[in-house]
Amino acid sequence: MELPYVVVIILFCLGIYTIIMNKNLIKIVVGVNIVESSLILLLILISFKLGGTAPILDRKYELVVDPIPQALALTAIVIGGSFIAVMLALVIKIYKRYGTLNVDEIRKLRG
Amino acid sequence: MSRVHKIFRKFYKIGLVLFLAIFLLFIFDEIQNLDIKRYLSEHYISEGVQETGAINLVTSVLYDYRGFDTLGEATVILTAAATLSFMAPIKKVKMLGTEFTIIIYQTIIIIIPFLVVLGMNLIFFGHISPGGGFVGGVILAMIPILVTITYGITFSENKLKANHKSLLEGIGAIGFILLGLLGIFAGSNFLASGQANFGLGNPGELISAGLIPYLNLMIGIKVGAGLATIFNSLIKEG
Amino acid sequence: MTGGKVVIYVILNMLMIFLLFTAFFAVFTKNLLNSIITLAIFSAILIVIFVILQAPDAALAEAVIGAGLTLAFFVITINKTKDWQNE
Repeated sequence: MELPYVVVIILFCLGIYTIIMNKNLIKIVVGVNIVESSLILLLILISFKLGGTAPILDRKYELVVDPIPQALALTAIVIGGSFIAVMLALVIKIYKRYGTLNVDEIRKLRG
Repeated sequence: MSRVHKIFRKFYKIGLVLFLAIFLLFIFDEIQNLDIKRYLSEHYISEGVQETGAINLVTSVLYDYRGFDTLGEATVILTAAATLSFMAPIKKVKMLGTEFTIIIYQTIIIIIPFLVVLGMNLIFFGHISPGGGFVGGVILAMIPILVTITYGITFSENKLKANHKSLLEGIGAIGFILLGLLGIFAGSNFLASGQANFGLGNPGELISAGLIPYLNLMIGIKVGAGLATIFNSLIKEG
Repeated sequence: MTGGKVVIYVILNMLMIFLLFTAFFAVFTKNLLNSIITLAIFSAILIVIFVILQAPDAALAEAVIGAGLTLAFFVITINKTKDWQNE
Protein backbone atom coordinates (compact mmCIF):
# COMPACT_ATOMS: atom_id res chain seq x y z
CA MET A 1 0.00 0.00 0.00
CA GLU A 2 1.83 3.07 -1.24
CA LEU A 3 1.60 6.52 0.24
CA PRO A 4 -0.24 8.44 -2.55
CA TYR A 5 -3.26 6.10 -2.45
CA VAL A 6 -3.56 6.41 1.33
CA VAL A 7 -3.48 10.21 1.01
CA VAL A 8 -6.31 10.07 -1.56
CA ILE A 9 -8.46 7.99 0.81
CA ILE A 10 -7.80 10.34 3.73
CA LEU A 11 -8.66 13.44 1.66
CA PHE A 12 -11.92 11.87 0.45
CA CYS A 13 -13.03 10.96 3.98
CA LEU A 14 -12.04 14.42 5.25
CA GLY A 15 -14.21 16.06 2.61
CA ILE A 16 -17.21 13.87 3.44
CA TYR A 17 -16.71 14.55 7.17
CA THR A 18 -16.87 18.28 6.46
CA ILE A 19 -20.07 17.99 4.46
CA ILE A 20 -21.80 15.97 7.20
CA MET A 21 -20.63 17.68 10.36
CA ASN A 22 -20.13 21.37 9.72
CA LYS A 23 -22.71 24.05 10.39
CA ASN A 24 -21.55 26.89 8.15
CA LEU A 25 -22.74 26.77 4.52
CA ILE A 26 -19.48 28.10 3.06
CA LYS A 27 -17.44 25.44 4.84
CA ILE A 28 -19.69 22.82 3.24
CA VAL A 29 -18.80 24.19 -0.21
CA VAL A 30 -15.09 24.00 0.73
CA GLY A 31 -15.65 20.34 1.61
CA VAL A 32 -17.23 19.63 -1.79
CA ASN A 33 -14.19 21.20 -3.48
CA ILE A 34 -11.81 18.96 -1.49
CA VAL A 35 -13.75 15.81 -2.48
CA GLU A 36 -13.62 16.78 -6.15
CA SER A 37 -9.87 17.53 -6.07
CA SER A 38 -9.09 14.20 -4.45
CA LEU A 39 -10.91 12.29 -7.20
CA ILE A 40 -9.04 14.18 -9.93
CA LEU A 41 -5.76 13.30 -8.18
CA LEU A 42 -6.80 9.63 -8.20
CA LEU A 43 -7.40 9.76 -11.97
CA ILE A 44 -3.92 11.17 -12.64
CA LEU A 45 -2.34 8.63 -10.29
CA ILE A 46 -3.82 5.72 -12.23
CA SER A 47 -2.21 6.82 -15.48
CA PHE A 48 1.36 7.03 -14.15
CA LYS A 49 4.07 4.52 -15.10
CA LEU A 50 7.57 4.46 -13.59
CA GLY A 51 10.07 5.93 -16.02
CA GLY A 52 7.52 7.24 -18.52
CA THR A 53 7.40 10.67 -20.15
CA ALA A 54 4.57 13.09 -20.92
CA PRO A 55 2.18 12.06 -23.75
CA ILE A 56 3.52 14.43 -26.45
CA LEU A 57 5.38 12.48 -29.09
CA ASP A 58 7.81 14.80 -30.77
CA ARG A 59 11.13 13.18 -29.91
CA LYS A 60 12.39 9.65 -29.48
CA TYR A 61 10.65 8.06 -26.55
CA GLU A 62 10.87 4.79 -24.65
CA LEU A 63 7.83 4.62 -22.43
CA VAL A 64 4.82 6.97 -22.48
CA VAL A 65 2.26 7.39 -19.72
CA ASP A 66 -1.39 6.63 -20.34
CA PRO A 67 -3.26 9.47 -22.11
CA ILE A 68 -6.87 8.38 -21.50
CA PRO A 69 -7.36 9.23 -17.78
CA GLN A 70 -5.66 12.59 -18.35
CA ALA A 71 -8.33 13.59 -20.88
CA LEU A 72 -11.07 12.64 -18.38
CA ALA A 73 -9.32 14.64 -15.64
CA LEU A 74 -9.22 17.74 -17.87
CA THR A 75 -12.98 17.49 -18.41
CA ALA A 76 -13.55 17.00 -14.69
CA ILE A 77 -11.57 20.10 -13.72
CA VAL A 78 -13.57 22.40 -15.99
CA ILE A 79 -16.92 20.96 -14.91
CA GLY A 80 -15.95 21.24 -11.23
CA GLY A 81 -15.16 24.93 -11.62
CA SER A 82 -18.54 25.88 -13.07
CA PHE A 83 -20.36 23.64 -10.57
CA ILE A 84 -18.83 25.49 -7.59
CA ALA A 85 -20.04 28.77 -9.14
CA VAL A 86 -23.66 27.56 -9.26
CA MET A 87 -23.46 26.38 -5.63
CA LEU A 88 -22.13 29.73 -4.43
CA ALA A 89 -24.91 31.59 -6.25
CA LEU A 90 -27.46 29.44 -4.37
CA VAL A 91 -25.70 30.26 -1.07
CA ILE A 92 -26.12 33.99 -1.77
CA LYS A 93 -29.82 33.48 -2.52
CA ILE A 94 -30.32 31.55 0.74
CA TYR A 95 -28.64 34.33 2.71
CA LYS A 96 -30.88 36.94 1.15
CA ARG A 97 -34.01 34.97 2.02
CA TYR A 98 -33.27 33.76 5.56
CA GLY A 99 -30.68 36.21 6.85
CA THR A 100 -28.32 33.63 8.33
CA LEU A 101 -25.77 31.07 7.16
CA ASN A 102 -26.25 28.49 9.91
CA VAL A 103 -27.75 25.18 8.81
CA ASP A 104 -29.63 24.50 12.09
CA GLU A 105 -31.47 27.80 12.10
CA ILE A 106 -32.45 27.46 8.45
CA ARG A 107 -33.94 24.07 9.20
CA LYS A 108 -36.02 25.52 12.03
CA LEU A 109 -37.46 28.45 10.10
CA ARG A 110 -38.95 26.50 7.18
CA GLY A 111 -40.29 29.24 4.96
CA MET B 1 -31.96 13.63 27.56
CA SER B 2 -31.48 15.79 24.52
CA ARG B 3 -27.81 16.36 25.37
CA VAL B 4 -27.04 12.65 25.43
CA HIS B 5 -28.94 12.36 22.17
CA LYS B 6 -26.74 15.04 20.56
CA ILE B 7 -23.49 13.41 21.69
CA PHE B 8 -24.70 10.04 20.43
CA ARG B 9 -25.49 11.50 17.00
CA LYS B 10 -22.06 13.12 16.79
CA PHE B 11 -20.23 9.87 17.52
CA TYR B 12 -22.51 8.01 15.13
CA LYS B 13 -21.49 10.32 12.26
CA ILE B 14 -17.77 10.01 13.07
CA GLY B 15 -18.17 6.24 13.21
CA LEU B 16 -19.75 6.19 9.75
CA VAL B 17 -16.85 8.15 8.23
CA LEU B 18 -14.29 5.84 9.86
CA PHE B 19 -16.14 2.79 8.58
CA LEU B 20 -16.03 4.25 5.06
CA ALA B 21 -12.27 4.84 5.35
CA ILE B 22 -11.55 1.23 6.43
CA PHE B 23 -13.79 -0.15 3.67
CA LEU B 24 -11.93 1.89 1.03
CA LEU B 25 -8.57 0.74 2.40
CA PHE B 26 -9.54 -2.88 1.87
CA ILE B 27 -10.74 -2.23 -1.67
CA PHE B 28 -7.57 -0.37 -2.67
CA ASP B 29 -5.43 -3.18 -1.33
CA GLU B 30 -7.24 -5.64 -3.57
CA ILE B 31 -7.08 -3.42 -6.67
CA GLN B 32 -3.37 -2.71 -6.49
CA ASN B 33 -2.34 -6.34 -6.87
CA LEU B 34 -4.21 -6.89 -10.14
CA ASP B 35 -2.18 -7.37 -13.29
CA ILE B 36 -4.11 -6.09 -16.28
CA LYS B 37 -2.91 -5.15 -19.72
CA ARG B 38 -4.28 -1.90 -21.15
CA TYR B 39 -5.01 -2.66 -24.77
CA LEU B 40 -6.80 0.56 -25.71
CA SER B 41 -3.98 2.80 -24.46
CA GLU B 42 -1.41 0.84 -26.41
CA HIS B 43 -3.50 1.20 -29.55
CA TYR B 44 -3.82 4.97 -29.04
CA ILE B 45 -0.09 5.39 -28.38
CA SER B 46 1.14 3.38 -31.33
CA GLU B 47 -1.45 4.36 -33.97
CA GLY B 48 -2.60 7.77 -32.71
CA VAL B 49 -0.28 10.06 -34.67
CA GLN B 50 -0.86 8.17 -37.90
CA GLU B 51 -4.64 8.14 -37.70
CA THR B 52 -5.34 11.65 -36.48
CA GLY B 53 -2.23 13.69 -37.29
CA ALA B 54 -1.96 15.39 -33.87
CA ILE B 55 1.20 15.04 -31.77
CA ASN B 56 -0.51 15.83 -28.47
CA LEU B 57 -2.14 12.53 -27.53
CA VAL B 58 -4.49 14.03 -24.93
CA THR B 59 -5.91 16.44 -27.55
CA SER B 60 -6.37 13.63 -30.05
CA VAL B 61 -8.25 11.54 -27.48
CA LEU B 62 -10.39 14.48 -26.37
CA TYR B 63 -11.36 15.91 -29.78
CA ASP B 64 -11.15 13.06 -32.25
CA TYR B 65 -11.68 9.67 -30.63
CA ARG B 66 -14.00 11.01 -27.91
CA GLY B 67 -15.34 14.22 -29.45
CA PHE B 68 -18.89 13.60 -28.24
CA ASP B 69 -17.91 13.93 -24.59
CA THR B 70 -16.49 17.38 -25.31
CA LEU B 71 -19.89 18.37 -26.71
CA GLY B 72 -21.45 17.20 -23.43
CA GLU B 73 -19.06 19.31 -21.40
CA ALA B 74 -19.85 22.38 -23.52
CA THR B 75 -23.54 21.74 -22.71
CA VAL B 76 -22.76 21.71 -18.96
CA ILE B 77 -21.07 25.12 -19.19
CA LEU B 78 -23.96 26.51 -21.21
CA THR B 79 -26.45 25.25 -18.60
CA ALA B 80 -24.49 26.80 -15.72
CA ALA B 81 -24.30 30.17 -17.47
CA ALA B 82 -28.02 30.09 -18.30
CA THR B 83 -28.96 29.15 -14.70
CA LEU B 84 -26.89 31.95 -13.20
CA SER B 85 -28.05 34.67 -15.53
CA PHE B 86 -31.64 33.59 -14.92
CA MET B 87 -31.22 34.10 -11.17
CA ALA B 88 -29.57 37.53 -11.32
CA PRO B 89 -31.74 40.64 -11.06
CA ILE B 90 -31.97 43.05 -13.97
CA LYS B 91 -31.36 46.30 -12.10
CA LYS B 92 -27.91 46.66 -10.61
CA VAL B 93 -27.30 46.29 -6.90
CA LYS B 94 -24.66 48.14 -4.94
CA MET B 95 -21.23 46.57 -5.27
CA LEU B 96 -18.60 47.49 -2.72
CA GLY B 97 -15.75 49.11 -4.63
CA THR B 98 -12.63 51.01 -3.77
CA GLU B 99 -10.62 53.62 -5.60
CA PHE B 100 -7.40 52.28 -7.04
CA THR B 101 -4.33 54.34 -7.79
CA ILE B 102 -3.43 55.38 -11.32
CA ILE B 103 -0.71 52.71 -11.61
CA ILE B 104 -3.27 49.92 -11.66
CA TYR B 105 -5.46 51.60 -14.27
CA GLN B 106 -2.54 52.11 -16.67
CA THR B 107 -1.13 48.64 -16.07
CA ILE B 108 -4.43 46.95 -16.90
CA ILE B 109 -4.60 48.90 -20.17
CA ILE B 110 -1.09 47.74 -21.14
CA ILE B 111 -1.60 44.08 -20.11
CA ILE B 112 -4.78 43.39 -22.11
CA PRO B 113 -3.11 42.86 -25.57
CA PHE B 114 -0.64 40.38 -24.05
CA LEU B 115 -3.48 38.39 -22.53
CA VAL B 116 -5.16 38.18 -25.95
CA VAL B 117 -1.92 36.91 -27.55
CA LEU B 118 -1.40 34.33 -24.79
CA GLY B 119 -4.95 33.03 -25.09
CA MET B 120 -4.80 32.75 -28.88
CA ASN B 121 -1.41 31.00 -28.69
CA LEU B 122 -2.75 28.34 -26.34
CA ILE B 123 -5.84 27.82 -28.52
CA PHE B 124 -4.16 27.58 -31.91
CA PHE B 125 -1.20 25.40 -30.90
CA GLY B 126 -3.40 23.00 -28.97
CA HIS B 127 -2.49 19.95 -31.02
CA ILE B 128 1.31 20.47 -30.86
CA SER B 129 2.02 21.51 -27.27
CA PRO B 130 0.09 21.29 -24.00
CA GLY B 131 -2.92 23.56 -23.64
CA GLY B 132 -5.96 23.19 -25.80
CA GLY B 133 -9.27 24.97 -26.18
CA PHE B 134 -10.37 25.04 -22.53
CA VAL B 135 -7.32 26.71 -21.02
CA GLY B 136 -7.15 29.33 -23.79
CA GLY B 137 -10.84 30.09 -23.37
CA VAL B 138 -10.50 30.71 -19.64
CA ILE B 139 -7.58 33.09 -20.22
CA LEU B 140 -9.67 34.99 -22.78
CA ALA B 141 -12.43 35.24 -20.15
CA MET B 142 -10.04 36.99 -17.77
CA ILE B 143 -10.21 40.23 -19.77
CA PRO B 144 -13.85 41.19 -18.96
CA ILE B 145 -13.28 40.00 -15.38
CA LEU B 146 -10.30 42.32 -14.88
CA VAL B 147 -12.16 45.28 -16.40
CA THR B 148 -15.14 44.61 -14.09
CA ILE B 149 -12.99 44.43 -10.98
CA THR B 150 -10.98 47.61 -11.52
CA TYR B 151 -13.35 49.94 -13.36
CA GLY B 152 -16.70 49.00 -11.85
CA ILE B 153 -19.60 47.15 -13.35
CA THR B 154 -21.33 50.11 -15.03
CA PHE B 155 -18.31 50.90 -17.22
CA SER B 156 -17.78 47.25 -18.05
CA GLU B 157 -21.40 46.73 -19.10
CA ASN B 158 -21.19 49.77 -21.37
CA LYS B 159 -18.08 48.64 -23.22
CA LEU B 160 -18.63 44.87 -23.47
CA LYS B 161 -22.36 44.42 -23.64
CA ALA B 162 -24.06 41.30 -22.36
CA ASN B 163 -25.85 40.73 -25.65
CA HIS B 164 -22.55 40.49 -27.54
CA LYS B 165 -21.24 37.92 -25.08
CA SER B 166 -24.28 35.73 -25.39
CA LEU B 167 -24.07 36.02 -29.19
CA LEU B 168 -20.45 34.80 -29.07
CA GLU B 169 -21.46 31.87 -26.91
CA GLY B 170 -24.15 30.89 -29.40
CA ILE B 171 -21.68 31.14 -32.31
CA GLY B 172 -19.27 28.83 -30.48
CA ALA B 173 -21.85 26.15 -29.75
CA ILE B 174 -23.50 26.15 -33.19
CA GLY B 175 -20.12 26.25 -34.93
CA PHE B 176 -19.08 23.09 -33.12
CA ILE B 177 -22.22 21.26 -34.24
CA LEU B 178 -21.87 22.46 -37.85
CA LEU B 179 -18.28 21.22 -37.98
CA GLY B 180 -19.53 17.90 -36.74
CA LEU B 181 -22.18 17.77 -39.46
CA LEU B 182 -19.40 18.31 -42.02
CA GLY B 183 -18.29 14.77 -41.23
CA ILE B 184 -21.73 13.42 -42.18
CA PHE B 185 -21.67 15.29 -45.50
CA ALA B 186 -18.32 13.66 -46.32
CA GLY B 187 -19.88 10.22 -45.96
CA SER B 188 -18.66 9.14 -42.52
CA ASN B 189 -19.77 9.48 -38.86
CA PHE B 190 -20.66 12.59 -36.84
CA LEU B 191 -17.54 14.49 -35.61
CA ALA B 192 -15.17 12.27 -37.62
CA SER B 193 -11.88 13.98 -38.38
CA GLY B 194 -9.49 11.07 -38.78
CA GLN B 195 -11.86 8.51 -40.22
CA ALA B 196 -12.99 10.76 -43.05
CA ASN B 197 -9.43 11.73 -44.15
CA PHE B 198 -9.87 15.48 -43.91
CA GLY B 199 -6.41 16.46 -45.11
CA LEU B 200 -4.19 15.24 -42.31
CA GLY B 201 -0.94 16.85 -43.42
CA ASN B 202 2.47 16.43 -41.78
CA PRO B 203 2.38 15.90 -38.01
CA GLY B 204 4.07 18.79 -36.23
CA GLU B 205 2.93 21.69 -38.38
CA LEU B 206 0.26 24.25 -37.62
CA ILE B 207 -2.13 23.34 -40.46
CA SER B 208 -2.53 19.64 -39.79
CA ALA B 209 -4.77 17.17 -38.00
CA GLY B 210 -7.90 17.78 -40.04
CA LEU B 211 -10.67 19.47 -38.05
CA ILE B 212 -8.93 19.75 -34.67
CA PRO B 213 -7.66 23.41 -34.79
CA TYR B 214 -11.13 24.67 -35.79
CA LEU B 215 -12.80 22.66 -33.02
CA ASN B 216 -10.33 24.16 -30.54
CA LEU B 217 -11.26 27.67 -31.69
CA MET B 218 -15.01 27.09 -31.30
CA ILE B 219 -14.60 25.60 -27.82
CA GLY B 220 -12.30 28.47 -26.77
CA ILE B 221 -14.81 31.14 -27.78
CA LYS B 222 -17.66 29.32 -26.07
CA VAL B 223 -15.93 28.73 -22.75
CA GLY B 224 -14.60 32.29 -22.63
CA ALA B 225 -17.96 33.94 -23.18
CA GLY B 226 -19.72 31.55 -20.77
CA LEU B 227 -17.36 32.16 -17.87
CA ALA B 228 -17.46 35.95 -18.31
CA THR B 229 -21.30 35.80 -18.18
CA ILE B 230 -21.16 33.68 -15.01
CA PHE B 231 -18.87 36.19 -13.28
CA ASN B 232 -20.97 39.23 -14.16
CA SER B 233 -24.15 37.52 -12.97
CA LEU B 234 -22.51 36.60 -9.67
CA ILE B 235 -21.46 40.22 -9.11
CA LYS B 236 -24.92 41.61 -9.88
CA GLU B 237 -26.70 39.23 -7.53
CA GLY B 238 -27.58 39.90 -3.93
CA MET C 1 17.71 3.69 -10.16
CA THR C 2 20.22 6.50 -10.33
CA GLY C 3 20.44 9.26 -7.73
CA GLY C 4 18.24 11.75 -9.60
CA LYS C 5 15.23 9.47 -9.78
CA VAL C 6 15.15 8.67 -6.08
CA VAL C 7 15.15 12.38 -5.12
CA ILE C 8 12.06 13.05 -7.24
CA TYR C 9 10.04 10.35 -5.50
CA VAL C 10 11.11 11.55 -2.05
CA ILE C 11 9.94 15.05 -3.03
CA LEU C 12 6.63 13.61 -4.26
CA ASN C 13 5.96 11.88 -0.94
CA MET C 14 6.81 15.02 1.02
CA LEU C 15 4.45 17.09 -1.14
CA MET C 16 1.64 14.59 -0.53
CA ILE C 17 2.05 14.90 3.25
CA PHE C 18 2.07 18.70 2.93
CA LEU C 19 -1.18 18.48 0.93
CA LEU C 20 -2.73 16.60 3.84
CA PHE C 21 -1.69 19.23 6.38
CA THR C 22 -3.11 22.01 4.22
CA ALA C 23 -6.46 20.25 3.86
CA PHE C 24 -6.73 19.68 7.62
CA PHE C 25 -6.00 23.34 8.27
CA ALA C 26 -8.60 24.49 5.74
CA VAL C 27 -11.32 22.42 7.40
CA PHE C 28 -10.66 22.94 11.11
CA THR C 29 -10.09 26.68 11.32
CA LYS C 30 -12.72 29.15 12.53
CA ASN C 31 -11.97 32.18 10.40
CA LEU C 32 -13.58 32.02 6.93
CA LEU C 33 -10.92 34.03 5.07
CA ASN C 34 -8.15 31.77 6.40
CA SER C 35 -10.02 28.76 5.07
CA ILE C 36 -10.38 30.18 1.57
CA ILE C 37 -6.76 31.27 1.16
CA THR C 38 -5.61 27.86 2.37
CA LEU C 39 -7.79 26.32 -0.35
CA ALA C 40 -5.82 28.34 -2.91
CA ILE C 41 -2.54 26.98 -1.47
CA PHE C 42 -4.03 23.46 -1.73
CA SER C 43 -4.65 24.08 -5.45
CA ALA C 44 -1.09 25.35 -5.93
CA ILE C 45 0.48 22.23 -4.37
CA LEU C 46 -1.79 20.08 -6.53
CA ILE C 47 -0.35 21.80 -9.65
CA VAL C 48 3.23 20.84 -8.70
CA ILE C 49 2.12 17.25 -8.04
CA PHE C 50 0.51 17.09 -11.49
CA VAL C 51 3.74 18.25 -13.15
CA ILE C 52 5.82 15.63 -11.31
CA LEU C 53 3.33 12.94 -12.41
CA GLN C 54 3.91 13.92 -16.09
CA ALA C 55 0.50 15.50 -16.88
CA PRO C 56 1.02 19.02 -18.33
CA ASP C 57 -2.52 19.55 -19.70
CA ALA C 58 -4.17 18.89 -16.36
CA ALA C 59 -1.61 21.12 -14.59
CA LEU C 60 -2.40 24.09 -16.86
CA ALA C 61 -6.16 23.64 -16.44
CA GLU C 62 -5.93 23.39 -12.65
CA ALA C 63 -3.64 26.45 -12.53
CA VAL C 64 -6.11 28.64 -14.37
CA ILE C 65 -9.39 27.37 -12.94
CA GLY C 66 -8.54 26.12 -9.47
CA ALA C 67 -6.29 28.91 -8.28
CA GLY C 68 -7.77 31.80 -10.23
CA LEU C 69 -11.47 31.50 -10.87
CA THR C 70 -12.64 29.51 -7.84
CA LEU C 71 -10.84 31.86 -5.43
CA ALA C 72 -12.52 34.90 -7.04
CA PHE C 73 -15.96 33.29 -6.68
CA PHE C 74 -15.40 32.51 -3.00
CA VAL C 75 -14.22 36.03 -2.17
CA ILE C 76 -17.26 37.57 -3.88
CA THR C 77 -19.59 35.28 -1.89
CA ILE C 78 -17.99 36.24 1.41
CA ASN C 79 -18.32 39.91 0.44
CA LYS C 80 -22.05 39.58 -0.10
CA THR C 81 -22.98 37.52 2.96
CA LYS C 82 -21.83 39.75 5.80
CA ASP C 83 -23.75 42.20 7.97
CA TRP C 84 -22.13 45.55 7.52
CA GLN C 85 -23.48 47.00 10.79
CA ASN C 86 -22.30 44.17 13.01
CA GLU C 87 -18.75 43.67 11.75
